[in-house]
Amino acid sequence: MLLKSWPVTFALVLLASLTVLVPGSLFAWQEKNAEEVLESSQSPDFSSEAGHGSVSFGLNYYGNGDNGDGNPFLDETLTDLEPVIIFDYNVTDRFSINGTLSYDYVSSASIERLENLGHQSGATGDFYYGASLGGTYKLNPDLRIGGNLSFSTEYDYNSIGLGGFVARDLNNKNTTLKLNVNAFQDSIDIIRWNGIQNEGTDDRTTLSLTGNWYQIITPSTHSEFGISATHQTGFLETAYNFAVIEDPDEDMISTQWRLDQYVNGHIEQEELPDTRTRGSIFGRVRTSLSPATSVELGGRLYADSWGISSVTIEPRLYQWLIEDKLSARLRYRFYTQTAADDYSDHFNLVTPEFRTQDSDLGDFNANGAGLKFSWYFSKSLRFDLSGDYIQRSDGIDQVLGAVGFNWSF
Amino acid sequence: MLLFVAALGSFGCRGVEYHQKQRFSNAIMLFDPDGSEVHFLQKTYYSREGSAGGIGSTAGGGCGCY
Repeated sequence: MLLKSWPVTFALVLLASLTVLVPGSLFAWQEKNAEEVLESSQSPDFSSEAGHGSVSFGLNYYGNGDNGDGNPFLDETLTDLEPVIIFDYNVTDRFSINGTLSYDYVSSASIERLENLGHQSGATGDFYYGASLGGTYKLNPDLRIGGNLSFSTEYDYNSIGLGGFVARDLNNKNTTLKLNVNAFQDSIDIIRWNGIQNEGTDDRTTLSLTGNWYQIITPSTHSEFGISATHQTGFLETAYNFAVIEDPDEDMISTQWRLDQYVNGHIEQEELPDTRTRGSIFGRVRTSLSPATSVELGGRLYADSWGISSVTIEPRLYQWLIEDKLSARLRYRFYTQTAADDYSDHFNLVTPEFRTQDSDLGDFNANGAGLKFSWYFSKSLRFDLSGDYIQRSDGIDQVLGAVGFNWSF
Repeated sequence: MLLFVAALGSFGCRGVEYHQKQRFSNAIMLFDPDGSEVHFLQKTYYSREGSAGGIGSTAGGGCGCY
């Protein structure tokens, strides 16, 4: 057990080491006076002056294994490599634009085996492109409105999104209230588990409403809280997911996606309800223990009409290792969820109307720990390096890694 | 929960003056300064967890899931 959870243990030991070994007294950190604060707070993002902005480039890696404790009939081993570019630019003192461009190269065991069926894209991986463009307009110093348009596509999936928000600063800018509305219209090519595509395309519509409340609590503590409600209709299952209906009186089959698994029975496509309502509340509070150290506690509660409920708890530690040059962030994330009503890892004899063996809709716990370093070449140029390890109770352990540059101009 | 929110409200009403906000300009006090990371983590959570989304994110829609 100890050996299995060594990444989490390592991260916790590292967290303790950083806390003990890198106190603020290692370097002479002085509290900035108000004038220095004004200068430093304006330098990185140049406030909202026309002609200024920032560009971020990130290269992200995701990989997960699969020991078979989740879906016993599907090898869910997967890797994803994602470059992403994010920018924002102040067109005028009142109007700014922002955007995101991303590309994903996904490689998985299931894709490789589907390739052998001859009905898929023919690639050894899956490609995803995403783009969004948004704008923000200041109606007055305390009131902002904005909107965004997004688009994403892969070989069997297209999505168009439209969003808008209004944000208002109150209480001498100690409080900000923000209301977001987002809508997505997705189109899915129905390609089933056996590679057959004879059902055309189907649609999915999503409408989401989110309220955010940012609050400065004390001179060293601030927070944000939110509540979100989402309603989805249309084709909500994953087209290529399947469920194995086990029956000892039927012939033995191989599910092909986990070649060591043979079972008597037959395969049915995944079926899930065509509506889903989701709700969540979340919040986080960060406090500055000293100019060199701050801590954060975040959490989220979630429930939906499919029977899934979840709890997330995420404490973080931020520490300057070299004043104004090198900072470290250590985070731990605990996540637990209950299974969807229609989930089972084994279906016996009877084929229920709704059924899924997707392990992401099952019950599991996840413990994740991650470390991130940020190196500030100057006030306008930053380099980030991070890594996370997530250990899941159903064996789908995950590794996340990222490098990135941020340039403010 | 209501008591907690009420307590926060009372802090907020008292107000923190502008010259007292110096610590919020410290880089280690900024919420989400790395947009690339926010994008990546939310996508990961969306794709691998049934509750779709991390802290601060909405839940649902527009996902080219893994």
